[in-house]
Amino acid sequence: MLTFLARRLPSVALMLVVTALIAFLLPRLGGGDPAQVVAGPDATLAQVEAVREQLGLDRPVLVQFGDWAGRIVTGDFGTSLISNRPVAQLIASRLSSTMELAIAATLLMIVMGLGLGILAGSVRKGGSRAAIDGTLSVLLATPPHVTGLILILILGISWRLLPISGEVSVFDDPVTGLTYLILPAFALALPQAAMIARLIQARMSQVREEDFVDLAKAKGVPPRRIAISHVLRNSLGTAVIVTGVRVGEILAGAVVIEAIFARQGLGTLAVSAIQSRDYEVVQIIVLFAVVIAVVVHFLSEILLAALDPRIRLDS
Amino acid sequence: MTIQDTDIPRRRAFLSEGLRRYLAAFRTPRGLIGGGLLAIMCLAALLAPVVFPGAVDAQSRDSFLGPSLTHPFGTDELGRDIFIRCIYALRISISLVIVAVPIAMVIGTLMGLAGAISPALGDAFQRLFDIILGFPSLILGICIVVAIGPGWIALAVTIAIFSLPQFGRLARGALLTEEGREYVLAARVLGVGKRKIMTRHILPNAMDPILVQASLAMIGGIFAEAALSIVGLGIQPPTPSLGTLLNVGIRYVYVQPMYTAGPIILLLLLALAFNLISDALNAAVMKTRND
Repeated sequence: MLTFLARRLPSVALMLVVTALIAFLLPRLGGGDPAQVVAGPDATLAQVEAVREQLGLDRPVLVQFGDWAGRIVTGDFGTSLISNRPVAQLIASRLSSTMELAIAATLLMIVMGLGLGILAGSVRKGGSRAAIDGTLSVLLATPPHVTGLILILILGISWRLLPISGEVSVFDDPVTGLTYLILPAFALALPQAAMIARLIQARMSQVREEDFVDLAKAKGVPPRRIAISHVLRNSLGTAVIVTGVRVGEILAGAVVIEAIFARQGLGTLAVSAIQSRDYEVVQIIVLFAVVIAVVVHFLSEILLAALDPRIRLDS
Repeated sequence: MTIQDTDIPRRRAFLSEGLRRYLAAFRTPRGLIGGGLLAIMCLAALLAPVVFPGAVDAQSRDSFLGPSLTHPFGTDELGRDIFIRCIYALRISISLVIVAVPIAMVIGTLMGLAGAISPALGDAFQRLFDIILGFPSLILGICIVVAIGPGWIALAVTIAIFSLPQFGRLARGALLTEEGREYVLAARVLGVGKRKIMTRHILPNAMDPILVQASLAMIGGIFAEAALSIVGLGIQPPTPSLGTLLNVGIRYVYVQPMYTAGPIILLLLLALAFNLISDALNAAVMKTRND
């Protein structure tokens, strides 16, 4: 296990460093002189220079990067240039909305992905097989924002079943909160669930060809038992790893889904921060999203390695 | 043609033969429907200013009219015809992917084949692809929008960068499998130069999956424009693009559902067309491979 970790750590570290670098450079890429922004539009050249020195912007970029990364690691996320509030506070105020959505979507993704995958991998009759394959292809090809808009049109407008705009915290009012959560969570989860289902399906038909399945059949193991403890058990590894990768996509998809469903989460915070050029906020959100994506991915790899000795021993 | 040329065992040496295979894909039912659909939409987008001169911004007092013969998708909050605005929006979607995806295809393929010249460079590019793929897609788009500023160019760059890894990996995969094949070894033994092996033998074999992927990347690009424009980070209103129409349309979804449904219909039609084309290409390619 340790050698496995040692092998995977460099690429995880590389990804984190690159992300940190991009996040650090964002305000600089965004154009505009941060010193000028802080000093205000009427500042004299001398004042701007004073601010520049005060913020440490006159030092080499690499030193600034080290400084910035050091502050981030110690939990100092800086201050919004627009609202003058600490970025950590801004993020905390929006966090619960996005977490509710992300957790609901992830659970839905896992449940539906497993269910559809096992269904698709087990059904082998012509007609129903084609129907499931077709459904999966359509779900897979339709990204969350389009799925979300279609759900709005059907369930929100045509049938008026569910609310399509705004949110109520699940903690304040569980039932109403959930009705607001259903559509956005489904929109986020459906394409990812289809992806997981596809992989489980492919893996299951692959495993079914393996020798040990033939052996089990020859020994007279009942078909149901073969399906569960031989085929399914050996097919779930892929699902674990893909689930890890997909969590990042759910977080990114939340940006658009929050905008469509008018939820006040981190995504809408990021968008309004970009539009008002509040890059201090943008950089932390970008960092936040990618770090979570990378860490969850890494954790799922560790989980898979723990489950499957072939992976951790394969050098 | 020199003697050496005919002696080397090779597949599909002539571009015309390769092209003919790809064109044959458009004669299958799927290719015909997909290609036809795309051709109609391209023509409509191209001819829109001629057929409906000035109609795209023509406002009237008749806001939020329902769908009718004169306004197939009804009218929007300023009384503009939603159908005509959707057709205009196609110009942005199609122009974006037609520019960005081929650029990504060429650069990505070259980056994937770079391993043949310098293994270190090839590995470095693969690392880069890993990093790009590690970024959740929209987050990458957000970074690019911050760097360049929202608009057509930022969208094109986002689409290109995000399509790059797929092409690079396909090209590298083809390089690694074909390099070890006997006909490549034979060519090398016969003294064929590295460059010629690359262009004559490896590249044509890599092209099949890459072209199929290009068709799929176009779908990704069209959806990416919609995603970034819906949140307001792509094309900026009042310019009609499928994303900006949805951005405004979703606010009026109760009074004018067609404002949301119209752009969605076109998005799905575009995706369907490219999907059918990639299916047809894939089938045509597999068929000649198996022959």
